[in-house]
Amino acid sequence: MKKTVDVSIPVGPVHPCWKEPVRIKCETRGEHVIGTEVEMGYMKKGIERIMRGRPWQEVMFLAERVCGICSVVHNMVFIEAMESISGITPPPRAAYLRVVVNELDRMASHLLANFSYCYTIEHETLGMYLLNEREHVLDMLERITGNRVNTAYMIPGGVRYDLRPVDEKVLRETLDLLDENIARYTKMFETGPMIALRSKGVGILTKEQALEAHAVGPTARASGIAVDQRTRHPTYKEIGFEPVVRTEGDNYARIMVRFEELKQSINLIRRALAMMPDGPIRGGGICKGGEVRYSGEAPRGELTYFVKADRYGRVEDIAIQTPSIMNIDACSHYMLKGVSSIADVTSTFISSDPCIACNER
Amino acid sequence: MTDMLQKLKNAVRSRSIHVAYVDTGSCNGCDIEVLACLSPRYDLEQYGIYVHNNPREADILLVIGCCTPQWEDKLKGIWEKIPEPKAAIAIGNCPVSGCVFNREGSYVNPPASKHIPIAASVPGCPPRPTEIIRAVLSLAPTIFADYEEKRQ
Repeated sequence: MKKTVDVSIPVGPVHPCWKEPVRIKCETRGEHVIGTEVEMGYMKKGIERIMRGRPWQEVMFLAERVCGICSVVHNMVFIEAMESISGITPPPRAAYLRVVVNELDRMASHLLANFSYCYTIEHETLGMYLLNEREHVLDMLERITGNRVNTAYMIPGGVRYDLRPVDEKVLRETLDLLDENIARYTKMFETGPMIALRSKGVGILTKEQALEAHAVGPTARASGIAVDQRTRHPTYKEIGFEPVVRTEGDNYARIMVRFEELKQSINLIRRALAMMPDGPIRGGGICKGGEVRYSGEAPRGELTYFVKADRYGRVEDIAIQTPSIMNIDACSHYMLKGVSSIADVTSTFISSDPCIACNER
Repeated sequence: MTDMLQKLKNAVRSRSIHVAYVDTGSCNGCDIEVLACLSPRYDLEQYGIYVHNNPREADILLVIGCCTPQWEDKLKGIWEKIPEPKAAIAIGNCPVSGCVFNREGSYVNPPASKHIPIAASVPGCPPRPTEIIRAVLSLAPTIFADYEEKRQ
């Protein structure tokens, strides 16, 4: 039989471009990658196991430490799951404040993902610009919630802190600044000839393949699937929301979807601020027993919590399905297959925005 | 003559610090705060700190995360690869105490000082980038000063 695989090259687990440990084994013929295998398990901490049997007051803090990049959405989905078990409705002002904080977190996450991609294709200038914009977003998070990462802002029946008028003024000014800068960087990415050479037509995921791998989030939306859990969220319905969709399905499309979602997030925050009524931010309520499967849209895609609580509000059973599981699967089975060189393996992997901490918990 | 050479070495070593970081099972929070140090606002490189992820050319190892069992031997391996003089700094609560993950039934094995010698630690969940830079800058001159004399 003819020998088809020349050499198997491991990439990782510690790689300068990756924030987290993961190993990809690439089977290559020459420079051409014909198959890959992702090896994980370096970050397994067993969070779901230590969550069981604890009251929601403790599980809340454990839930946002599943992932440090998108900590707000883990907090939000767990709290909204507990609210839907107990029949608690947050006051309208608190619901809009949740949207503001969630969209700020999404912007921080997308800016970090695009920074990583630009850093991986060695366009360090654009990467550093984006990382600097991220600091402005984190400043706003700190101003509203009191912390940069792991904010613990939402609680059943409301949020912890109100948005003061002075904060709202600074937030609007920062949004204007971000709008201007992000438009400039999007144009830099869109029209850069060298970026196009490294990104266009690399790591293609077609619509059929994306459906087969159950890709979610920006990875699916770049392949033409309009899937977004925010369309089902009551507050987002009031604000008015349409998912961003592109059809190319390559690295360029995935990064451009994130850039367009940054613009969308800025507009969502502006509309939320305009529609936000005055009133209380905490409505109260007691967590009851029951079980629910609740989904929300994390920056990387659909995040699902299955929660089963007893009548004192203690979590009896919990299961978390994070978006990166499907996206890493889509990446290793479809995107990386047929990539023309090993140098594109890292950038293609980063373009699907994998979060290993979410994935292994 | 040797004094002058030593002074020169001390001055150079405190102004050119190569850093490697290793993520031994964190939640990404401390990880991205180390990454945020690279941003133009904090600008690590103006202090002469360079972030490589290569232990063979590093002086300081930043340990992040609560030491999962998979990392026990690998962390020691990375520590042995770093050339002398070297120091390790624990970033965040996780390598110090295990933070929220150090409960019955979890798969973590903190503190990091069980596995490798830790020279300093920056507690916080996560610590701010300014605190991380301050720790590196205040540790490096004291560890690397008069290294040859201390070794004798």
